[in-house]
Amino acid sequence: MILVIDALNRDRFQSVIDDMFQLRARVFKDRMGWDVSVEDGRESDLFDNLDPVYLVALNDEYDVIGCNRMLQTTGPHMLTDVFQDILCGEPSLRSATIWENTRFCIDTERLKHPDSTRSVSSTACELMAGIAEYAYDSGITDVISVVDPAMDRILKRCDNAPYGYLGKTVQMGKTKALAALSDITEERIARIRNFAGITGNIFADEDEVAEALAARTAEEMMSPDLRDYCDEQIAAATTEHEKRAALALRAALAQTSRSRSDIRA
Amino acid sequence: MHKRIDLIDLAGIPEVQRDYVGHLNKLCDTLGVEHATYFAANPISGKMHGFTTYPDDWKSHYVAHRLQEYDPTLNSASRSVAPVDWRRLTSDPEYDRVFKDAHDFKLPSQGVTVPIRGMFGEIGLLCACSSVPQAEWIKLKRDILGSLLNNAVHLHDTVMNSDPLLKTLRQPKLSSREIEILQWVAAGKSQQDIGDILMISSRTVEVHMRSTREKLCTISTAQAVGRAVSLGLIQPG
Repeated sequence: MILVIDALNRDRFQSVIDDMFQLRARVFKDRMGWDVSVEDGRESDLFDNLDPVYLVALNDEYDVIGCNRMLQTTGPHMLTDVFQDILCGEPSLRSATIWENTRFCIDTERLKHPDSTRSVSSTACELMAGIAEYAYDSGITDVISVVDPAMDRILKRCDNAPYGYLGKTVQMGKTKALAALSDITEERIARIRNFAGITGNIFADEDEVAEALAARTAEEMMSPDLRDYCDEQIAAATTEHEKRAALALRAALAQTSRSRSDIRA
Repeated sequence: MHKRIDLIDLAGIPEVQRDYVGHLNKLCDTLGVEHATYFAANPISGKMHGFTTYPDDWKSHYVAHRLQEYDPTLNSASRSVAPVDWRRLTSDPEYDRVFKDAHDFKLPSQGVTVPIRGMFGEIGLLCACSSVPQAEWIKLKRDILGSLLNNAVHLHDTVMNSDPLLKTLRQPKLSSREIEILQWVAAGKSQQDIGDILMISSRTVEVHMRSTREKLCTISTAQAVGRAVSLGLIQPG
């Protein structure tokens, strides 16, 4: 599922933002060797302070498995600044109906783990469909995406090929970077969805995610003994009824420890 | 597809004759919305620019109660990248303070704010509202969103360029690709021809022309050619 986070709801999703900055540090600093600033295992830059909008891909456990950042091209954005080399020092495109995508990445390590129920390609497609649909609903008709050649190949493979490129491909760290142009149309959305077999709504309900994250935090705050006991009960359940009861017990106990910690706070 | 509604040219009118409220009234008629508001602050002087088609009694009430300091359609919405439907603002702590009063003045509670970020990080806001039934509003909004975006940036650039200092700082910066394409347009070539000549897709030509028009604060490509010639950016065709 795709969660949209911007300045209006960011306060509710600090933990997701924090996970995302950690993923970005692993991808852009460790794997791609880009010259990005990482502090305490988290990558962020000045554009993160300009109220961008993030599209974050989450798995069923609400872990961050992919992300992307979007900015208007009428105001400050990366191609006018740190990615200027790509445009050979030339001014960038500027239009109210063109947005810029940066920091597109997927948590390939997590997704390639044998326990993962999702694949790298399905997550990339879901995120790409999310970007196209969110931009489309916002009246945007084209996006510029700064990507590395591996991501560019993924775009092409997923029937989401760019229609053009800006400037040139430049060396960046251990890899290269380029600026791809994509139209935002119903046809493109249909192609991505069709390729990945996506049907129905892919956007997460904000309130549901916030509630689930709060419940997860509460569970993490339960004493280890109590948590082990709950997990055993859930594992030992032999019928659906028993399993539901064991899950409800864990949620109720978590809720109790959450309210107790609220009082403490 | 988004419905294409023509822009109303504002930059072409001499500054002293510019009637921003009249412009917004015309915009309302063209787009089929009830009221429209434009709001921005000059990034250098801090001067506020606000124009609206709202009735005078609401304007007086709004100013007297300093509602602009609380209004989520301005404050919260200005921090969004995407246009904000006012439904999203109902959980804003200041929502009731403004919308209860607006309701008493029989003004629509249904609307959208289109935030435009300017080149100095300043933000211009174009708001439009309507009291048609919700299903109709959703459809109307979808149809006019592209047009609202284009009008918002045009209005914002025109207002910002009316400040002599900002106008100097905001000299249009075209890339050599944009200039090259515009020079071919001036020579009478079609979008497809230019794509073939430069070996790029026709849509790549189109986004460059769109960007050029917006940078030059013009509506039509013909106007952009004219302005670029007068600025000495290209040779007459």
